Amino acid sequence: MNASLTDRYVYAAARSVPEAQRTDLERELRERIGDATDALVQTGRAPADAERMALVELGDPAALAASYVDRPLQLIGPRYYLAWWRLLKLLYAVVLPIAVAAVAFAQVLSGAQVGDVIGSAVSVGFSLVVNLGFWTTLAFAIAERSPGAAAAELTWNPEMLPQLPELGRPGKLSELIASIVFLGLFAILIVWQQFGIPWVGALESIPLLNPDLWSFWLPYFLVLIGLEMLFAVAIHLWGWNWWLAAANLVLNVAFVVPAVWLFTTGQLINPAALDAMGWPWGDAGDVIVPVILVVVIGVAIWDVVDGVIKTVRGRGGAMPTIGRI
Amino acid sequence: MSTDDTTAGHLQELRRGTVVLACLIRLRTPDYGYALLESLNGLGITVDANTLYPLLRRLEKQGLLTSEWNTDEARPRKFYRTSDAGERLAGALTTDWHLIDAALTRLTTGDER
Repeated sequence: MNASLTDRYVYAAARSVPEAQRTDLERELRERIGDATDALVQTGRAPADAERMALVELGDPAALAASYVDRPLQLIGPRYYLAWWRLLKLLYAVVLPIAVAAVAFAQVLSGAQVGDVIGSAVSVGFSLVVNLGFWTTLAFAIAERSPGAAAAELTWNPEMLPQLPELGRPGKLSELIASIVFLGLFAILIVWQQFGIPWVGALESIPLLNPDLWSFWLPYFLVLIGLEMLFAVAIHLWGWNWWLAAANLVLNVAFVVPAVWLFTTGQLINPAALDAMGWPWGDAGDVIVPVILVVVIGVAIWDVVDGVIKTVRGRGGAMPTIGRI
Repeated sequence: MSTDDTTAGHLQELRRGTVVLACLIRLRTPDYGYALLESLNGLGITVDANTLYPLLRRLEKQGLLTSEWNTDEARPRKFYRTSDAGERLAGALTTDWHLIDAALTRLTTGDER
């Protein structure tokens, strides 16, 4: 049937526009297809070929219908793209690390194995990446399709301009030295406490940390301290960027999670040292343990957040892109 | 046409506004889409059907054209006609066109003032 191709085209285009505009679109399309076909027939083409050519020139009926009712053919257009991108970056930079760290911490507190802790942190992180991305995008895609919603735009203003990266390297050198010295002292303390701590009377010849941990965990912490030193050098050389901020998060988690786990499961401190110090000191243990935990975790979280803040300030909030380091 | 894509793109941009002006002037006498397409192309104002039909609809939406369905013939056709607002816009566009032409002429002849 000759007319069927046109009929099918008109049907395909009209079904995706609102009822009220449908009749109008159908009539206009039939006029246009008919006139174009007639013109092609006059140049000597067979009617069937002419009709086909006319439809090919019109293009995808869905695209034509979309242009007819001014429906956007992109998920998020230029009006919302930057707002969407900034919000997504912010969510990933803030919500993701906090949530993953919180899940890992909760697992550690409940006495889960290291493998389980890492597994659940990774799976929560993954589902958060997917969910944050999906719902944010969905919200903006809906906004893109709602008329007169332009008021919700995040308008740009000059205060949002990034600070120029600090050039004051000498100031940073002192930071580097302080970091290295502190980390070095920390490493020395871990080794030294094995032979007792002379200025604490009760521990003159008793290791503070559980000597069993030398089989794995104490060397692990020493290696981490070495990595932290390399990290401090990296910060000094390149300044903060998103890769280093992420590395900072990883290092903090790698340190705090096992440390807290060992501490809360009673494996960290040498039982002999506890005996020698007369632990628990009455009811004080109920207060001291949570305080130590909160301080350790709080310091780690602050360190991660601080890294992110410095990165955002230095980089204008740019997300990691290959080659930007 | 021996022009490359860049040239073609710039030519298209340069002509985009002139198609609007040509439509507004040409549709002082009512006509339908395909006849308008033919007559514009015959005059050397090259325009594509996929550009012209959506343009006519947009101009109608903006109140610059009015339309009426002619059902006298076997195939109903939508006849467009320039409205009063369209007439005023055509005047303003024509004035601007002459200003640009004069400015470009001065630029070309080096008589900048």
